[in-house]
Amino acid sequence: MQPDVATPILELRGFAYTYLEGTPRASEAVRDVSFRILRGERVGIVGATESGKSTVVDSFAHLLRLGQGQVFYKGEDVAAPGYDRSRLRRKIGIVFQQPDSQIIEDVVGADVAFGPTAAALSAGETRQRVEESLDTLGLPYADYRLRYVHALSGGQRRRVAIAGVLAMHTPVLVLDEPMAGLDPRGRKELLELLIKLQKDRELTLIVCSASLNDASLLCDRFIVLDRGTVVMDGPVREVLRQADRLAELDITLPEPVVGAREMQKLFPDFPTDLLTEDELESELLTRLGTA
Amino acid sequence: MLELQRNVIFGQFVETGSFIHRMDARVKIAATSALIVASFLINNFLGFAVVLPLLVAIGVVSRIPFGYVLRGSQIFIAFLVFILAFQVLFYARDVPESSYLWRWGLLSVSTEGLYTAGILALRVILLYYATTMLMLTTSLVELTNGLELIFGPLQRLRVPVNELVLVFVIAIKFVPIFIEEMERLARAQTARGVPFDEGGALTRARRLGRLLIPIFISGFARADTLTIAMNTRSYRGGRYRTKLRQMRASLSDWLALTLVIAWITVAWLV
Repeated sequence: MQPDVATPILELRGFAYTYLEGTPRASEAVRDVSFRILRGERVGIVGATESGKSTVVDSFAHLLRLGQGQVFYKGEDVAAPGYDRSRLRRKIGIVFQQPDSQIIEDVVGADVAFGPTAAALSAGETRQRVEESLDTLGLPYADYRLRYVHALSGGQRRRVAIAGVLAMHTPVLVLDEPMAGLDPRGRKELLELLIKLQKDRELTLIVCSASLNDASLLCDRFIVLDRGTVVMDGPVREVLRQADRLAELDITLPEPVVGAREMQKLFPDFPTDLLTEDELESELLTRLGTA
Repeated sequence: MLELQRNVIFGQFVETGSFIHRMDARVKIAATSALIVASFLINNFLGFAVVLPLLVAIGVVSRIPFGYVLRGSQIFIAFLVFILAFQVLFYARDVPESSYLWRWGLLSVSTEGLYTAGILALRVILLYYATTMLMLTTSLVELTNGLELIFGPLQRLRVPVNELVLVFVIAIKFVPIFIEEMERLARAQTARGVPFDEGGALTRARRLGRLLIPIFISGFARADTLTIAMNTRSYRGGRYRTKLRQMRASLSDWLALTLVIAWITVAWLV
């Protein structure tokens, strides 16, 4: 679908944040970050640890002490006096790095129902949303509805956390390191699921990660952060072309790009903007054919 | 947003490299103990007035901003005010009729009540200030070493000093960790529609209650991990552990301790 160009759904203007500002333990997390995200975009916010990713994520839903004129949702300043924060939080769904921190209830069904209930939906509609969200994540409603959250595996808990956010039907979905702690099969499944969800629901998808491995297949655009500032912002392939720079920033490159960098020892002009193994293979075959 | 770390400084260590930070931990613990004893011995306002310059001096020399300490003690101060209100209102000893300022059934305000509450407040504040400054200026490693050395002789009597100190230090160390964890949980839950940053004080307090069970669960998990980590590194407590760094108290340390003790003796005797 074509992103709506008129007003960005999310915009950061010169966002800066210091934890515990004004105390001897103050630490500056974000120095100066500006970007616009349009409706329906699939954006990866990437950077090594301490680059400020999680702080940026928290700012989207006004989960930090924000100054005015820094964060905008659909053109409106979220820190303006009288701005309805609860409404904002019903528009921006965030899946945090540790799923346990956002699971509120003990039982799977009750937890997924938490958001819709808080948003005062009817019992029938809530039930329908819980069922739909759990089924979408491959946790069949009938089976999982009454299970205890602590008895689930890490991967399943992450799914419950995602289901809880999906049930809110937010137009924006933000995931902080969604692949951490998942095995290769779990990663593949989640990747496919996210691609499908984004398409079906026309979501604005934002993924934070220190690794481009899955993000390069999931996103169209990368915003690269380093020590609290934006150092690159552009279409995925354009950013991947600067693979050496990314490696310097301690960002894990996608496997095809790692392969491509190895190939550069043989072919100095070997391109690094490759998304799949197939692309790497065909590029290599062309080179070998001409050599 | 909920920023507990700003409002609770208990158990935190702030390095400023001041003279007090560099002092021998044993001497600091001894000086703190002296101040704690003083808080019980001093029983008039004049005595506390004499101690005040000493406390100010400690604050200034430590280079820890006073505003930071004050803001970090908000919850403590609120609690203190609450307790003192009870102390004043239910003060029930023989009070001459003339000293009542206000009376309503069981509740009353009398000059005696106010005086006792005032002394009590100063005692608790002195106690709190002394221990808080000790923790703000002493890293946990030094605090552990200091306590172990001070209570070391008790090992001869088969008191498990090492283990007791360890438990004490871990307990203190867990406080800031819990506070950080609470903030993280509150943020995540706010994102899901429990607004921790809205509503009156009572509503907010009740919402904090929701965090208790997850905090307990994560506390147990953390303690479990810590145990495994210590076992894998072959930790075993007891008297046969030796120290990598020996502590040595310098002349200036002893002078500082003597000054503190002399000062509070004066405050006690006036």
